[in-house]
Amino acid sequence: MLEINNLHARLTDGREILRGIDLSIKAGEVHAIMGPNGSGKSTLAAVLAGRDGYEVSEGRVTYLGRDLLSMAADERAREGLFLAFQYPVEIPGVNNMYFLRTAINAQRRHRGEPELDAGQFLRIVRAQLKLLDIGEDLLQRAVNVGFSGGEKKRNEVFQMAMLEPRLAILDETDSGLDIDALKMVARGVNQQRAPDRAIVIITHYQRLLDYVEPDRVHVLQGGRIIESGDKGLAIELERRGYGAIEDAA
Amino acid sequence: MSAVVNFPAKPEARPYLEAFGRRALSRDESEPDWLAGYRKGSLARFAELGFPSRRSEAWRYIDLRPLEQRPMLPADTEQTVLSAATRGRLNEIELAGPVYRLVLIDGRFTPELSAIEELPPGVWLGSMAAAIDHRPDLVRSRLEAPSLDAARPFAALNAALFADGFVLDIAPGVTLERVVEILHLSSGHNGGSLHTRSLITSGEGSSASVIETFTGSGEYWRNDVVELQLAAGAELTRVALIEEAADALHFGEMLATLGAASRLSSFVLLLGGRTVRHEATVRSEGERSRCELNGVFLLSGRQEANILTTVDHAAPGGETRETFKGVAAERAHGAFQGRITVRPGAQKVDAHQLSRNLVLGPRAAIDTKPELEIYADDVKCSHGAAVGDLDEAALFYLRARGIPNKEARRMLIEAFAREAVELVEQEPLREHLLSRLALRLAILEE
Repeated sequence: MLEINNLHARLTDGREILRGIDLSIKAGEVHAIMGPNGSGKSTLAAVLAGRDGYEVSEGRVTYLGRDLLSMAADERAREGLFLAFQYPVEIPGVNNMYFLRTAINAQRRHRGEPELDAGQFLRIVRAQLKLLDIGEDLLQRAVNVGFSGGEKKRNEVFQMAMLEPRLAILDETDSGLDIDALKMVARGVNQQRAPDRAIVIITHYQRLLDYVEPDRVHVLQGGRIIESGDKGLAIELERRGYGAIEDAA
Repeated sequence: MSAVVNFPAKPEARPYLEAFGRRALSRDESEPDWLAGYRKGSLARFAELGFPSRRSEAWRYIDLRPLEQRPMLPADTEQTVLSAATRGRLNEIELAGPVYRLVLIDGRFTPELSAIEELPPGVWLGSMAAAIDHRPDLVRSRLEAPSLDAARPFAALNAALFADGFVLDIAPGVTLERVVEILHLSSGHNGGSLHTRSLITSGEGSSASVIETFTGSGEYWRNDVVELQLAAGAELTRVALIEEAADALHFGEMLATLGAASRLSSFVLLLGGRTVRHEATVRSEGERSRCELNGVFLLSGRQEANILTTVDHAAPGGETRETFKGVAAERAHGAFQGRITVRPGAQKVDAHQLSRNLVLGPRAAIDTKPELEIYADDVKCSHGAAVGDLDEAALFYLRARGIPNKEARRMLIEAFAREAVELVEQEPLREHLLSRLALRLAILEE
C-alpha cells in the first residue's frame, strides 16, 4: 500500500530532518513508529500528508501504485490518505458537521459516488458517534473551537471513522490524553482495522500500544529508521529507553 | 456663471447646476415653496463646495476623476419601464416571508410593486414625494433642521436633486412586527444619476427593522441619503444590502441622531458595484444610547469600496460597538475608516471598534484607519485593526480532509464574513444576508 524509499526531506530553512527513510506497509497492517522528540516522526507524517514548508530532496513514496509526492494534499486525502493531527486546528465560523459533510462529499464526488444529503449524512454520523461514545453537541460547534485536548483528539478519530481511509496516519494522537480518552482512541483505531486498510501510529510512548497491537514497530532516530521489529520492540523501548536502542544500533 | 447662484461655481458642479435649471423649468408646479427654496440653497452649497478633494481624508480612497471628467446628470425617470428583467431581479433579491415592501425603480416609488397597505396604526410609510404632500411638517422639519451634512457636497447635491425616496414614521410605543423592505432598483433604462432622499423617525419606545437593498443593471450613479431619528428608548435596525450593477457607482450616506437610551443597529453587506462608498454618521445626543455599526465588504475584480463610520458621543453613558470585516480579491481595493469621538462631559462612554480584513492575493489591497478622539476622562474606548491572509494552518486542515483548495478557501472566507453577519439579530434578515453572501462567494474569483 505504501512504499517509502530513501526519503530525504528538509525544512525550507535548509535543515534536513528526514535522512533516508525506508518503509514498506501492506494493506491490513498496523505499524507503530516510535522515537524521541526531534527524531522526525511528525515531519514524516507532514510530508506524507502534503503539508507545505518541507522540501523532499531525495527518495520516492509510492501509495497504491501512484507517486504520492506528486499529488496535492487534498487529492491525497480524497485518495484515502488520512492524517490525524497532533495539534488539530481550530476553525472559527465553520460548523463541524458542515465541515465533515463537505469533506465526505468531496471524496464521494472524487470516487464518482452520489453526494450524501443532510438526512443520509446525519444517519451515518449518529451511528458513528454512538460507536465512539461521542456527544452529538460536538457536531454543532465550530471545528475544534473551544474543544478540550481530549475532545480534539476524539474529533480526529471520529473524522477518521467517518472518512474510512485506506491509509490512516495518527500523529501522536495519544499524547496528552487521560486513560479514558486513550481507550476511546484505541477503540476507534481497532474498529478501523481491516484487511484493505493500513494504519500507522506515530507515538512517543508505548502506552497506546497496550490497547492497539501493532504488527510492526519501527524506531525513528535522527531522521532514519534505526530498528524494526514486532510488538516486543515497543516493550523493550519502554523498559530500556531510546538511548539503549541508539547505542545498540 | 449660472442662473442659480450668483458666485462662480466650481467647474465640476456646473453641469449639475445647468441640469437643475432645466429641471426647475419643467418641475411640477405643485412643489411647495419651502422645498424649492431648500433645493436652491442646497444647490448653492454644492456649487460652492464642488467635488471633494482627494486630499480630504474622507475621500482619499475613492477616485472621483471619472465622474469629474464625465458628469452623470440626473436621470429623467418620469416614465419607468417595468421590464421582465426588472421584475425578475426584484423577485430574486427580495426577502421571503411577510414584509412591508416599498419599491423605488430608478429612484421613484413604484406602487404596483409595493405592499404598504396593511400598516398597523401609528405607522406611516410612503414615498418621499407623498410625504411632502401628506406629511409636510414632518419632512420640512427634518430637511430644514441644522444638518449633520453641512460640508458634504454630494449630500447637498442630493438635497437639490432628489426625485423621491421613502419616509417611515413610527409613532411612540409602536412595535413593527414585520420587516420594512425598501428595494432600490436601477432598471438600466436610465443612465445618469439617481438621487434618493429618505427619512426614518422612530418615536419614543418604538421598535422597527428596515432593510434597504440597492441593486440594478447598467451604468449609473446612485447618490442616496437616509436620515434616521431615534427618540428616547426607540429601537431601530437598519440593514443596507448593496448589490449594485458591475458598472455602478454608489454613494450612500446614513445620518442618525440617537435620543436617550435609544438603540440603533446598523449593518451593511457590500457585495456589488464598481465603486461604492458607504458612510454612516451617528450622533449620540441622549444619555445611555447604544449604537451598533457592523458590516462586511466582499470585493473582487477591480471593485473599490470605502466604508466610513463616524460616531459622535455628545452625551454620557453611551455605548458603541463596531465590527467590520473586509475581503478583497484580485485587483480590488477596500478601505475602512472609523472615527469615534467622545466630547467633553460625555463620561462613561464605552466604545469598541474592530476592523478585520482578508487580502487574497498580491494585487488586492485593504486600508483600515481607526481614529479615536476622546475629550472625556472617564471612558472605555478601544479599537483593533488587522489585515492578513487566510490562516494557512486552517486551510491545510481542510485540504487534509479532501476538500479541494478552492472550496476550502471559500469556506474560510465565508466563515470569516459570517462572524459579522451573525451579529444581525433578526433571523429573517440574518438568513437573507447569509444567503446573499453565499451567492456572492460562489462566484468570487481569486
